[in-house]
Formats: sequence, C-alpha cells, structure tokens
Amino acid sequence: MKPRYQNRIELLQGTLDLLILQTLQWGPQHGYGISQAIRNRSGETLQVDTGSLYPALHRLEGQKWIKAAWKTSDNKQRVRVYQLTAAGKRQLLSERSRWQQISDAIAGILSPAKENQA
Amino acid sequence: MKTPFWRNKRREFDDEVDTHLRMAADERTARGESAAEAKQSARREFGNVGLVKDVTREIWGWASLERLIQDLRYALRMLRKNPGFTIVAVLTLALGIGANTAIFSIVNAVLLRPLPFDNPSRLMMLHEGLPKIGYPKLDFSPPDLTVFTREQKSFSALGAFQDKHVNISGQGEPERVAAARVSASLFPMLGAQPLLGRAFLSSEDAPGHNVVILSYGLWQRHFGGASNVIGQTMEIDRQPYAIVGVMPRSFVFPLSGPDMNALPAEVWVPIAFTPAELQGWGGLYVTSVVGRLRPEVTLDQARGEMESLANRVADNYPMALSNLLHHGLTMTAVPFQTEVVGSVRTLLLVLMIAVGFVLLIACANVATLLLSRAATRQKEIAIRTALGATRLRLVRQMFTESIFLALAGGALGLLIAAWTRSFILALVPASIPLPHQVPINAGVLAFTVAVSVLAALLFGIAPALQSSAGALQVPLQEGGRGGTSSRPRHRLQGVFVASEFALALVLLVGAGLLIRSFVKLLQTNPGFRPDHLLTLTIPLPHQAYPHGAQIYDFYKQALERAAALPGVQNAALSSDLPLNAREMVSFSIEGRQNAQGNTPEAVCQSWIFGDYFQTMGISLLQGRWFTAEDQVASQPVAVVNLSMARKYWPEGALGKRIKWGVNDSWETVVGVVADVKEGPLNSILTPHVYRPYSQIAPGFLEEDPFGEWHTMNLSLRTQMDPTSLSSAVVAQIHSLDRDLAVTNIHTMTELVSSSFSGPEFTTVLIGALAALALFLAAIGIYGVLAYVVAQQTHDIGIRMALGAKPRDIFGLVIGRGVRLAAIGSVIGLAAAFGLTRLMKSLLYGVGAMDPLTFVGVVVVLIFVALLAVCIPARRATKVDPMVALRYE
Repeated sequence: MKPRYQNRIELLQGTLDLLILQTLQWGPQHGYGISQAIRNRSGETLQVDTGSLYPALHRLEGQKWIKAAWKTSDNKQRVRVYQLTAAGKRQLLSERSRWQQISDAIAGILSPAKENQA
Repeated sequence: MKTPFWRNKRREFDDEVDTHLRMAADERTARGESAAEAKQSARREFGNVGLVKDVTREIWGWASLERLIQDLRYALRMLRKNPGFTIVAVLTLALGIGANTAIFSIVNAVLLRPLPFDNPSRLMMLHEGLPKIGYPKLDFSPPDLTVFTREQKSFSALGAFQDKHVNISGQGEPERVAAARVSASLFPMLGAQPLLGRAFLSSEDAPGHNVVILSYGLWQRHFGGASNVIGQTMEIDRQPYAIVGVMPRSFVFPLSGPDMNALPAEVWVPIAFTPAELQGWGGLYVTSVVGRLRPEVTLDQARGEMESLANRVADNYPMALSNLLHHGLTMTAVPFQTEVVGSVRTLLLVLMIAVGFVLLIACANVATLLLSRAATRQKEIAIRTALGATRLRLVRQMFTESIFLALAGGALGLLIAAWTRSFILALVPASIPLPHQVPINAGVLAFTVAVSVLAALLFGIAPALQSSAGALQVPLQEGGRGGTSSRPRHRLQGVFVASEFALALVLLVGAGLLIRSFVKLLQTNPGFRPDHLLTLTIPLPHQAYPHGAQIYDFYKQALERAAALPGVQNAALSSDLPLNAREMVSFSIEGRQNAQGNTPEAVCQSWIFGDYFQTMGISLLQGRWFTAEDQVASQPVAVVNLSMARKYWPEGALGKRIKWGVNDSWETVVGVVADVKEGPLNSILTPHVYRPYSQIAPGFLEEDPFGEWHTMNLSLRTQMDPTSLSSAVVAQIHSLDRDLAVTNIHTMTELVSSSFSGPEFTTVLIGALAALALFLAAIGIYGVLAYVVAQQTHDIGIRMALGAKPRDIFGLVIGRGVRLAAIGSVIGLAAAFGLTRLMKSLLYGVGAMDPLTFVGVVVVLIFVALLAVCIPARRATKVDPMVALRYE
C-alpha cells in the first residue's frame, strides 16, 4: 500500500499542492470542501484521492504554508478549517509561475505547428 | 493518566476524517440518497480509511515511534492471551540467556579485564627454557638474569620476584604467610605506589637489608591499620625486619595463575640474591621476571633479541655445564595477561561455546513454538493483510513480540545468572585460578541485552517471514485448518528440531568425553594408599636453624616423637608428597655419560627420611628400602621407581650407579618401587628417584639452595581416623620448638580429592549444560510432534477410518521424530568431530574422538527423542476417527 500511494503523491505532488493553495486563496476551507472544490472547478475531471489530500494538507501545514483551526460549521459540525498563510501566498505565486512555465513548455511541444506558423 | 500528545493529535485527525465522511454523506442525502446508502458511498469514495490515516500520520514524523508503541501494546496483548506459550518461551530463553550471562560474567572478569597495573599490555613475562631436556619453560636463574639485564635493550624495565613462605612470629601464635622477594624495580614498573612509607630502594637489591613492605591485609590484621607502623620492626623467620612501607588494598602481587603457582604475598622483602644464588649457573631457574616492553619495540622484536641474547648468556656458563648448553638455552617473552590467564582460557572458551549452543537450542525451541502458534494466528494475519497491513509491518509486529519475549527472558535470565554464578564460583576449586567473586557490571548487562536481541533475531526472524509470506490467500479459503499450507512450516520446524539435536549432540559428546576421562581418573591407581594418612609441612626458618646438624637433629626427633604417638603405624619425612612432585634433576648413568657428562634427561627427585614407602603404601618391587645404616659415611644409595628402572635399565636396575653433579659421588640403586602419580592424577608417569635424607652432608644441608631440606613434609600412617591425631602431632612438634608454624595439615584423601577437583568442576559444569541442552532439545521435539499430531488429527482420522492400525499411526509419528533426531545427530557428529579437538587439554585417558563416547551419545540422544515422541505418538493412536472427521 505504502509504495503505491507514495508514487502517486510524488507524481501529483507539485500539482496537488498548487491546487490546494489555489483553492484556499478563495477563502478558508475544510478538507472535504477542498476536495469538492477541486472536483467542481475541474468539471469533475480531477478527483482528489483522500489518500493524497490529507497527507498533502498535513505536509503543507508542517511547511507553514497553511494553518489549521477547529471551527463550527453552518450545520453545527466541528470542522478543521485550513487557511493560507503569508508564506503560503508567496509559495502559491511561485508555484503558479512554475506551473505556467511547464504548461507553456508542454504546450509548445504538443503544438509545433503553431510555432512554424509564427 | 495523562494523554500523550500524539494521541490527542490522532484523535483530532480521526475527527477530521469523520467530519469529512459525514459531510460527504450529508451532501448525498441532500441529493436524495437514503442515509445508509449515502454513508456507504461516502466511505467508498473516501477509500481505505485506516490507510489514509496511516499515510497521513506518517507525515507527522513520529509515526514510527507511535507504531512501535502500538506494536508493543499489541505484543503484550498477544503474549497475555497465550500465557502458556509465553511462560514456556520466556523460561526457555531465560535458561539460555542466563547461562550465557553467568559464564560471560566470569569471562569478563578473567579474560577481558586488563591486569590491574600501569599500561598492562606492555608487560611481558620472561622465560628461559631448556627444551631439549624437557624444560621448555623455566623461570630465570639469578646469574642469567644478571647478564640478561645488562645486555638487553627491548625492555624499559625488568622486575624480578620469587614467591616463598615465611613465618611471622612475635605476638601470639606463629603464623606462616605467603611472601615474595621482589626487586626494587618491580613496584615502580607495575605502577604501584605504597599507601604508606616507601617502596624498596635499588640499594636494597643487595643482601643485608632487613626491610619489609606489608600488604594492606596484614597491616590491618597485625597492626590494626596503625599509621605509625612505618619504622617499627617485626619478626620474619626470627629475624627483625624494619617495616618501610604498606601497599594499598587494591595491590595484589604475585597474581595467582596456573603456571605461576603463587599466592598473593602478604609481605614483600627485597630479592637480594645471595652470592651463592648469583653463582647458581645452570640451576635455580626459579626467579620470575616481568619486563615492560619499550614503546617502540614489538613483542616479536623483543623475542628476536632474547633468542640471540640466550646464546650470549650461555657463553657465560662455566665449562662444566657446557653439556647443558649443548642442548640449547632459550629465552622468550609471553604477554603477562596470557601467562596469568593460562589454561583457564581453554576452559572458559569451551564453556562459552557450550552456553552458546544452549542458547541456540533455546532459540530453536522458541522458533518452533512461534511457528506452531503462527498456525493459529493465520486468520488474524490474513485479516490484517486484507485490511492493508504490509508484510514489513506484519514482520515488524511479530518481531516486536519476539523482542519482548527475549527481553523478558533476558531479565529473568539475569536473575538466573546472578544465582547460578555464585553457585558456579563456589564450586571453583583452588586448582583452577578463577576469582571467587565476579561483578555483574555494565559490561555484563550490555552483554545480556545484546544476547537477548540477538536471540530475538535468531528465533523471531524465520517464523515472522514464514508466517507473513503469502498470508492473504490461503487461510481464509482454508477455513483455518492446517493442510497443504502448513507444509513449509513443518519443514522449517523440522529444520529447527534437527539443529537442536545436532547442537545437543555436540554438547553431549563434550560432556561424555569429560565424564569418561573423569571416570578414568577415579579409576587411576595412584600407586600408594591414600587412606589413613595424615600429612603436614614443618618448615624450619633458615636463621633459626643455621647448621646442618641442627636441621637433621630436629627432623630426626620430630620423626621419632611422631612415630611414637599411639595409633601411628609408620611415620616418614619427605621433601615432597605424591601428587605434588616438584623437583626435577638431570643426572648421569655410569658408563653411559657422553663427552659432556650428564645424560640430557631429567627425573623427579624426592628426599626421604624414615619409613616413607611403608607409610605411603608404595610397594617394593626389587631390592631393599632405605635403612638406618644409610648414613653420610656409608655407600651412597638411591631407590628408583619402575618407570625409571624400565627406561634406563631394562636389563635390571639393581646395583647400577648414577650421579648428579660432576663432583658428586656415584650412588648405587638398591631398590625399585612401584610408580606413584607425581602430579595431578591426569599427568603421565615419570621416572622418579628417591634419595635418603640421612645421606645429605651437613654442609649441603645448610646451603639448601631450593629450600626443600628445610621444608620437609611429615606423613603418618594411622590406625584410626587420621584427623584425630593432628593436634597430638602438632603438640609434639611444638614441644621441640614452640615457635614453629606447622602448615598444610591434610589427610591424604583430601589431597587426592582436591587433585580431582579441577576435572570434577569442568565435568560437572559441562555435564549440566549438556543435560540442559538435552532437556531443551527433548522439549523441542516433543512440542513439534505434539503440534503436528494435533494439526493432523483429521488426516489420522481418515487413515484410521480407511483401516490403519494404531500401531501404524504410532510408527508414523515415531518415525517422523526419529528421522529428525537422526538427521540432527548426523550433522552433530560432523560438528563434534571438528569441535572436540578444542577440549584435548581437558581430557585424560580418552581421545577427543573416542568412538565409545560418540556412539553412546547418539544412542542416548535417539532414546531421549523416542521418549519425547512417545507421548504425542500415543495420543495419535487414541484419535477416534469419527470424532476427528466430525471435527471438520
């Protein structure tokens, strides 16, 4: 079990961290909310595996990019809510620009015709 | 109880996951699913809850600690649930670990502890040798030491010492204490500082200084620890000695050791060689020499220098002795530590191997127990695997249990060791130089922990790997009953049981050889009658008896008075006693001497006075005993033993003549007596010559270079219990000289049994370990077969239903057990052939490959295996086929 999941976390690590940080930029959110948000905003394409989500949340918390607090939700449930820290915001910016680079690079490789046309 | 921080965090995370699940379920309910359906699909979507928790907790970092605690708690629970298994396993391990700890505590104190001196690894014991005439290892003679000290360059310091006994008199009863003559260089070289006063000065190495240094013990005993003792005088051998120093309590010297044969001294006096000693060329090889190797010199280099110096030393020998040197004088050095430990090393090595084997057997036993138990745990393991436990995790869990067992066994073993150790040490005879007390210190504790962990590895790994392998598929399908899947386990158990038997066999062979040689020892004819014999030593102080005539008269009167005591049949004096021959001399045979004079052989020599042979019960084979007519003025005579007569005069010894020194006169052999055991009973017989004390010229008697003519032993053959006479004899001697210390009052039976004590100790110890090994191996084979029978009740039932007779079933189980024992025995025999050679020096009268012992041991082993297997085999025949089949 462990090797399998670790591989997946590694595979998704940068991306999942980026997605979590981005999601939290819109406001504090709990774990379930984060997973739903990613799912909804990706048009159901990205299904975040809880086996990756919670380790990632706890890791980001350990890196002080997000912080967590217990709050009572609208329907009186105790929930653990995650919130972006200042460091987290900076991290989000750098991750976004890195993602942009990767995404441009991949796009460039995938559509060489465009380049020729230009 | 305070909740640990990680448990808090854990609970929080559990809550977080719960919330997640509830929210997911709520949303589904809101979308119209039923509550149960929503809950289930929320869970399905979430995935493996336990696993997510595990993976997340790992992020926390201290997951491994938590898991360890979890494993420990689980292990404790499992062990508590199977008290029978736990008790047997812990006890077995405790026996194995306890035996190891006990022996190791002795090894630690004897072999591993450095000598209590400055930089002891540089201290060497120096030896001379005349190997070609049968003395490979001698101490130094004073003249040789003088030359050697002057010429050598390998040692930064040399210290000489010689142990002796002195009488201390003055206040109260005369007391005889162990003493040592030491050179002034010795104490500084060892790094020993006096507690009070000073050490000896180098000027005191010359004769004429009556100074003494006291041991702490004697200072306390005789002077009540008074600090003003320095400068006082005390009487040693009736001479006044000025006390110049007191050594600290921790200082013990000489160290007792097998080859050193010395007792720690209570007083030290200057070595102060006399002019006669300094001219004692070719004799008096009795001074022990310790040297401190220079830092830049290796032991081999020092030995090289000593070899060449031996020739230079030999050049100084007088012409008359040149024959001795044609046979080569050698010199060499041995590390002091090696010298002190000596032959005990072999004994301890053999013991260490023996306890190691016992531990291996104990481990094999516990391993088979674990394997048996793994069968009953297969379902549990399968469920845990199904729930996502990795193999690593399972192995770790099972290994935690093993560690737990081993540590519990180790703790109990420590208690066992503390108890058996004092028991073993109390048995240590004086002839084996082991300390009577050894500490259980940090080193021993560390050893116990290390051995426990090692044991856990040994017995825990194979069962853990075996039972976690392919854990998932089989048992759930199988319904938990052993069938095909138990085959690898059975094979592994078989391997363990066979190894146990192999190990037990090696130990039994060792014990068997020791027992056989001990029996041989007991059956040895000592050549004399030890019953009804009282012996004691009457040492005469040189200073009180300076003249030969005084010495002779004293002993003559003592002998007459002792012989006149009621109940005494015969009495005699002798320079040594059977079992304790000390002096070896070389001699020449008339008509057979070569150009150099003496024949190169040496023989034992005793000086006797009175009816020695009658007293000892040594039979006369030819010729006559000594008589009162054998006096200084009459023809010099000697009596030889049978070995000597056969060796030198197969044609007949009577009337043949021998002589000792170039200037001595010829002595005629007038009698041949039976051989007597000269040393410990396990030593070989040697040629022995007896010479009459009455033929020693008074002038020689005074010189007495070996101190033997002043230290005669009185023996009495009595009609009644010999001990009842001892006070009467001592009273008679004190009537001659009130201040004499009479020592070594023993019956000969005591002396004989003390000569057995060394072999007896070894035999008892190894025998006990072998018995323990056999017991454990028997339990092992019993356990495995009982388990196999229980597992195969179903198969046996089918066989019986198909017509198998109880006899067949019985044979089936027995056959299996005997096959295992036989395989083990074959392997064990091969190992024993290799290992018993180590014990050669501990054996007497049997070879290390004694076929009788080997065969006997195999028979015993198979017999014990049969007994152990009988119980489960009988149980197998009692299987009721109907019950067995229905049991399904």
